[in-house]
Amino acid sequence: MTVIELNLSLPEVKNQWQNFLQKLGINNFSTAEIQQLDLTLGLYEDEQLVATASAAHNVIKYVGVCQQDSTPGARFNQIISELTSRLYQQGIFHLFVFTKPQYSLSFQHVGFKQLADSSQAVFLETGTPDIQDYLAQLPQVSQSHPQKIAAIVMNANPFTLGHRYLVKRALQQSDYVYVFVVNTDASLFKTSERIQLVKAGLKDLPHALVVNGGDYMVSYATFPAYFLQSGQDVVRYQTTLDAHIFRDLIAPACQISTRFLGSEPLSPTTAIYNQVLQQELPPKVQVQVIERKQSDSQKVISASTVRQALAHNQLATIKDLVPATTYQFMQEHKALLETRIKEGMRINGN
Amino acid sequence: MEIKETAVAGTLESSDIQIMITKADQGISIELESDVAKQFGQQIKKVITDTLKQLDIDAAHVKAVDKGALDCVIKARTIAAAQRATKTVDTPAWEVL
Repeated sequence: MTVIELNLSLPEVKNQWQNFLQKLGINNFSTAEIQQLDLTLGLYEDEQLVATASAAHNVIKYVGVCQQDSTPGARFNQIISELTSRLYQQGIFHLFVFTKPQYSLSFQHVGFKQLADSSQAVFLETGTPDIQDYLAQLPQVSQSHPQKIAAIVMNANPFTLGHRYLVKRALQQSDYVYVFVVNTDASLFKTSERIQLVKAGLKDLPHALVVNGGDYMVSYATFPAYFLQSGQDVVRYQTTLDAHIFRDLIAPACQISTRFLGSEPLSPTTAIYNQVLQQELPPKVQVQVIERKQSDSQKVISASTVRQALAHNQLATIKDLVPATTYQFMQEHKALLETRIKEGMRINGN
Repeated sequence: MEIKETAVAGTLESSDIQIMITKADQGISIELESDVAKQFGQQIKKVITDTLKQLDIDAAHVKAVDKGALDCVIKARTIAAAQRATKTVDTPAWEVL
C-alpha cells in the first residue's frame, strides 16, 4: 500500500481519479472547484486506486474510499492521516470538512468534531485553534442586567454608508451590536483593511463591537459558494450549515438574540442566504431585515457600486456613498487597488 | 520548558496515536478521542501528562486521537510532538526514555 500525490493537471491521472469518485457518487467536477485544490492524494493497492482525498487550503474535499476487501475504516484512516499530516507539516493546523451526513462518524473517529448538520450535509473541524478558542476570545457584554444583543455579519468590501446605516438601525433597537467582519481574503479589500475601515467608520458608536468573523461566518470554509460561482442548491445547503453554526454556537456564546440583515436587491447569492437565515434562525434567534439605504440621488448604496467606480476611475461619483474614512483610504491606496483589479481580482460578485 | 509553536506527531492508523500540542496559559489539559476512552481514557491521559512533566512542560493543551496505541507508543509520540513544539529537536531528551 502506498500513498502518492496525484497530479490532476495530467489528463490520464485526472480521468482515473474522476472515474473512481464518480463510481462512489461524487459528481461535481466543475473547473472552479478543481482549481481550488492544492493537494490530492491517492492510496494504491496492487496498482489500483482504492482511496483519495484532497485539500483546498484548509478544507478537505473529494474524499472517496473503496471498502472492498479491506478492514472497514482502515483505508479511510490511512488517507485522512496522510492528508492531515501533510497539511500539519505546512503549518496548517486547523482543518475543515464538508461531507454527507453518513460519513460524519468516520471523521469523528479520527478526531473531527461536528459543528453543524443539515439533511444534506455536515460540517466538521479538527486541529487548533477550534470553535471553542474562537468563542473564548470574543469580547463579552456584561450581563449584570439584561441586555438586548444583536449581530450583523458583513463582508464590507469596502465599508459604505449602507453598512453604517444598518448598524445604526440595529443599535436603535439593541443595547449592543456585534459586527462580524468576514475573514476571507478573496475580495478586493483584504480582511485587515476591511476590519480597519469598519472600525474607523463606526468609531463614534462604542456599542458596536467590531470583531473578525473567523472561520465560522461566511468564510471560505463554511460558505465557499459566496466566493466561487456555484449553483443555487449548493448555496442553499452551505448557507443552511452557516445558519446552524450561527444559531447553535455563536449566538448562545454571545447572548445574541437578533440577527439584522440588509435587504438584498442585487446579489442572488446573498438573497438566498437571507432567505435561508429567515427560515433557519428563528425561534432561537430573531431575524430583522432592514431596507437598504438609498443615497440622496436615489441610488441603492452598494459596495459593488463602489468597486465598479474604482475600476472605472470614477471615484468622485461615489463620495456620498461611503464614510470619509473609507473614501480617504481609497484615495490613498488608489494605485494599489487598481493594481489588484488589473491582476484579476474579481470586482463583481460579492 | 515552554511550548513555542503547535506541533503534531503520530498517525490516525490502528495501534497508533496522534498527538497535537499547542500553547496554553497554565496547566496541562487533554482532549482525547478514543474508541476505548471508557476503559483506558484515564491511563492514556496519565501517560501523556507524566511524559510532559518529565520534559518539564507544565503548560500545554493536548489533542490526542487514539487508535489503540500501547503506552510506549503514546509516550514516544508525546515526546516527538513535545520536542517539535518546544523547538528542541536538536537536543533529544534521552533521559525521559
